[in-house]
Amino acid sequence: MGQTTVVDVNDLSRSFGSKRALDGVSFHATAGQVYGLVGANGAGKTTLIKHLLGLLRAATGSVRVFGLDPVRDPVGVLGRVGYLSEERELPEWMRIDELMAYTHAFHPTWDVTYARELIDTFALDPAKKIKDLSKGMRAQAGLVAAVAHRPALLILDEPSSGLDAVVRRDILDAIVRTVADDGRTVIFSSHLLEEVERMSDHVTLIHNGRVTLSGPLDEVRRGYQRSRVRFAEHFEQPPVLVGALAMEGGGRTWSVVHSGSLEQFHHSLLAFGGEVVDSRDATLEEIFLARAGRTRQPVEAV
Amino acid sequence: MRSPVVAMLWENWRLIRAEAAWRLSLSIVGGLAAFVVVAAAAPNQATRDFSASVALFVLISLNFMVWVAIAKLKGGRLMDGYRPGFPLYLLYTRPLRTTVLVAVPMVSQAALGAAVYLVSALVLRLTLDYPFPLLSVAAPIAAAHLAYNAADWATRSKAVQWLASTAAIGTLGAIAARRWQGWPTFFDFSSTDYAFMAAMSVASFGVTVAGVARQRHGSAPAATPRVAVGGFPDWLVDRFQFRCPTSSATRAQVWFDLRSSGLPVLTLGVGLAIVIPLVFVATTQLDLVLSRFITQPATRLVAVVVAVFSVPTVLILLAGNAFGIRAKQGRTYASAFEATQACGTARMAGLKVLVRSVCLLGALLAVGTSIWTSASVIPFDVLGDNDTLIEKSRAPLSGWMRAIRSGVGAMSADEVLMLAFVTCTLVAVMVAWRAADAALRARYQRRQRIAGSVLLLYALVLGLLAVAGERGIGPEIPLGAILEATKWIAAVAMVLATGYLSWNVFEERLLTLRQASSAILFSAAFGMAWVTVLGATGVSLAGMPTTDAAWMRSPALLPLLVSLLAPWSLSRVRHT
Repeated sequence: MGQTTVVDVNDLSRSFGSKRALDGVSFHATAGQVYGLVGANGAGKTTLIKHLLGLLRAATGSVRVFGLDPVRDPVGVLGRVGYLSEERELPEWMRIDELMAYTHAFHPTWDVTYARELIDTFALDPAKKIKDLSKGMRAQAGLVAAVAHRPALLILDEPSSGLDAVVRRDILDAIVRTVADDGRTVIFSSHLLEEVERMSDHVTLIHNGRVTLSGPLDEVRRGYQRSRVRFAEHFEQPPVLVGALAMEGGGRTWSVVHSGSLEQFHHSLLAFGGEVVDSRDATLEEIFLARAGRTRQPVEAV
Repeated sequence: MRSPVVAMLWENWRLIRAEAAWRLSLSIVGGLAAFVVVAAAAPNQATRDFSASVALFVLISLNFMVWVAIAKLKGGRLMDGYRPGFPLYLLYTRPLRTTVLVAVPMVSQAALGAAVYLVSALVLRLTLDYPFPLLSVAAPIAAAHLAYNAADWATRSKAVQWLASTAAIGTLGAIAARRWQGWPTFFDFSSTDYAFMAAMSVASFGVTVAGVARQRHGSAPAATPRVAVGGFPDWLVDRFQFRCPTSSATRAQVWFDLRSSGLPVLTLGVGLAIVIPLVFVATTQLDLVLSRFITQPATRLVAVVVAVFSVPTVLILLAGNAFGIRAKQGRTYASAFEATQACGTARMAGLKVLVRSVCLLGALLAVGTSIWTSASVIPFDVLGDNDTLIEKSRAPLSGWMRAIRSGVGAMSADEVLMLAFVTCTLVAVMVAWRAADAALRARYQRRQRIAGSVLLLYALVLGLLAVAGERGIGPEIPLGAILEATKWIAAVAMVLATGYLSWNVFEERLLTLRQASSAILFSAAFGMAWVTVLGATGVSLAGMPTTDAAWMRSPALLPLLVSLLAPWSLSRVRHT
């Protein structure tokens, strides 16, 4: 079955002053999938999302959403997109019911019953003003406004921020799953790796403005192993092993996150007089930390 | 940093240095310019003394009350905008005694305010060889800074802040007025006056420490500034509650703009329209009461000033920022909420300008009607006085009313309609222009500042040349030719800007063919109306040289220019 491309970003770069926010980013999303954008603060996740919404113009490269340029055709793109911003920026003077009515007017597909259901689920008071809402309630109101018109593409920038654990796990996950199951697309950014692992079909890791890893979650996870290795001799610095991305530990026992050929990894391990104690698929967090260079990198053994 | 105090002083300096430099430059340039312009009027000692007084006024006004928030510690928006969060309450968690916490910013602000004045006065002393006062002005400036900060930081209540600062500044102003001596002494403060200022400063400090201490320990709400600027206050927005239509995006957008900015503008206009006759009645009655004690009417001037300045004030204050550009912590930006609505940029810009213009016109109509009725119905001459000041102050008001009455009376019904059309369109042009200006300022702040400064400088130089030429000062300058060239540069710039914007707008597909055609048709209609109004007011284009006639017709291009500029500028902040 041919998959419909919803988002098509090619070789996108963007700088803010001397800071390179995005550097040759390519990103593609197809219908009916949930895409998780992962990265440290300032990695470029929000910048990428803003390009998808047309809030930023592509300086170089191209951005197409539903085959349209979001800057040139905001109505064509934004009419089919639901968006929850990281800052939860909503008009302070509006009441929740007014926010719903206002958003409804822009989207003929608005589902009044679904909106009411969600408002009830979140226990929001429709007569309450946005400015009087807590951060979490504001996120909830923004989320209802973003999903109640059943958008073809739902973009959530750090949706968990401000939501308590119950809402995050039960409601947010359910909403995202419902959207995806209806054949629509969800792109969300998060720094909560466990959440991305739970909700996404695809994961894209952005680091320093570059996509360092992207693919279906299962594939990504299968491609990385975390092994505990033991050496015959003591190492002050982690030895260079084929396929090793990051090593932690010291002395004779090390934990290694590695990818690529297992055979080559074992061969290089043997060359240093080491052996694998145990091995398993790496978690997304371990992959992220290894890819983002947040753990000790292997160096030439002295 | 050697100590917390040094660290805080460094922090204050980093925050205020740019603005201090601006203020110092403005004081020196403004003071010198004011002196030169006024002194050029007549080459005698009395005029020179008067021009020195004007220069001193410029210096004082640039460093006195309205500028007291120099360090932005109150979170005000001045000169270079809202500084990254630095209201005093953010310092409350620092491991410092409240006295130190308050003393460092308070004293450094007051000292800097006084220092900026002192340096600019010294420069003017040296360059103009006039004895501009030093301590006698610097002392009240410092005292005013301290009092104003006390009002701002000791309480959160805006009413108390306003009353307290007005009382403090009023007291200092009253003392200064009583001690005014004219040149060369200016203010002859006694030691008692200085002692009073010192006591006021100490009291300000004490009040602030007490207020901040209460806030630090949760006994009083923290005096926090507004976190974002860009909209009308809640009490105005909340005046009108009506349902948002869901039948179309256009109606919803109109509802949004009416609620968030249109109706607040109209409310303010109507409020002012109600106040104006009350001021007329109150001042007239007050003068009647005061006539038992003083021979001259004292308060009627207030009514005249209110009447004369109401319309320009409404235009200046309420026509701006129709796109709702927000300012927060030094950053100006378009609301992401609005930017991500499924609405075309041209439609969004058009609706915002339209709603604001209609409401502004309503406000202007209310204020204008109120002034007209008040000035016509409420008697001015109840005292039968012949006070020249009052008569003079009334002259512009009654003169304008006569001119309008006779001008409009001489027109045919069609011409009146055309005049109304031209007036309404020009108001909309102004709204669109200022909206675009705010948007472009948010997007290209530095470039716009440079362009604005260059234009201001150019205008200042032209003004100075005009005065100098009139008085025969300096070498002969072909001012007429320069003005003529300026006129043509402006006309060519307008044409080029229209061409450039047309290209961009079509290249970016901001306007549809229908929207562009409507803009062209509307501009053509405005052009015809403009020429009709010119004819009705006695301007004969036929008798003019071709170039002058073309120049007189050039405003006809304005509607087209702004109908391109408005969506283009909004697009620049919507898609950065």
